[in-house]
Amino acid sequence: MANAKLYKGSLVTIILKLLKESEKMYGYEITQKVKALTKGELNITEGALYPALHKLEAKGLLDVEVIKVDNRLRKYYKLTEKGDKETINKLHELQEYIKTMQVLVNPKLSI
Amino acid sequence: MKKLTKEHIEDLYAFTIKHYVEHYDLQTEMVDHMANGIEAIWEKYPALSYLEARKKAFKKFGIFGFMEIVAERQKAMQKRYYKYLLKELRIWFKLPKIIVSITLFWVFYTAFSLIISSYLLITFFALIGIWTLYKSIQLHRQFRRRKEKSNKKWLLEEIIFKQSTGMGIIFFSQIFNIINFSDKLFTSHYGIISVSIVAVILTMVIYISFELLPKKSEVLLNETYPEYSL
Repeated sequence: MANAKLYKGSLVTIILKLLKESEKMYGYEITQKVKALTKGELNITEGALYPALHKLEAKGLLDVEVIKVDNRLRKYYKLTEKGDKETINKLHELQEYIKTMQVLVNPKLSI
Repeated sequence: MKKLTKEHIEDLYAFTIKHYVEHYDLQTEMVDHMANGIEAIWEKYPALSYLEARKKAFKKFGIFGFMEIVAERQKAMQKRYYKYLLKELRIWFKLPKIIVSITLFWVFYTAFSLIISSYLLITFFALIGIWTLYKSIQLHRQFRRRKEKSNKKWLLEEIIFKQSTGMGIIFFSQIFNIINFSDKLFTSHYGIISVSIVAVILTMVIYISFELLPKKSEVLLNETYPEYSL
């Protein structure tokens, strides 16, 4: 796995982006989806994922839905209207960050 | 594919309790996560027993297990509680309730303008003190009864019913400072205005946290937890 510290600051953006692409997702599903999309390069730990989800929920960016699946309850997260707007902002911020980093690490490319 | 039984799910709930997840809301989320993990492990290693698969699934939570998640959840829910409190407080500064707030301010201002203002301030604190103590005991009892009845403990419920005591402690930790400074405060016009504003806000915060939010707890719990009425 790549340097986890580098990804840490982008965890919220990753979660919001995934939720924007699908109607609703639950915690385990998010970890698996990230693993699959990045071919195992990025592994979101449970200890980082749930606090991030709960913070986003407390901020009113995510809404929750609980459904009985098999013989247990499953908590789904989905974006609120406020969350949708925040996702756009966060993605823009991340893209700007990537651009700046490219300029720094690969100056020739930016010319 | 091997699936978890109802008994396994019950065991997972007990497992989360054993690992310091006290509240049902977080237990439910952790149980589902663990269950998904165990079933995925079984898909890869079908020969593993339930306990072996459970151990493997729990390892993913790291050496601190659920503890970090519990602590962060507490902080997030605390924020949510303050949000509810602030929402209620704002209502008292809008029409029509602002009339009550202004009247209350006028009562405090008039009282604190009298020569006996220092004694009145002490009486004000004493009255609120007795009331908060009485309410704290009542809310603690209510919380215990609710827990016994449902056998479940919800984090927001605990904050609503127990948090107010913390508010009372913060409030009264300042009592000696206020009494010590009361002589200086009541000598100026602005001093009396400031004390009256603080008294109005404190009265409201205490009223909201000890009376209003516990009364609204069912609505707030249903709003916060979709599974509350399941």
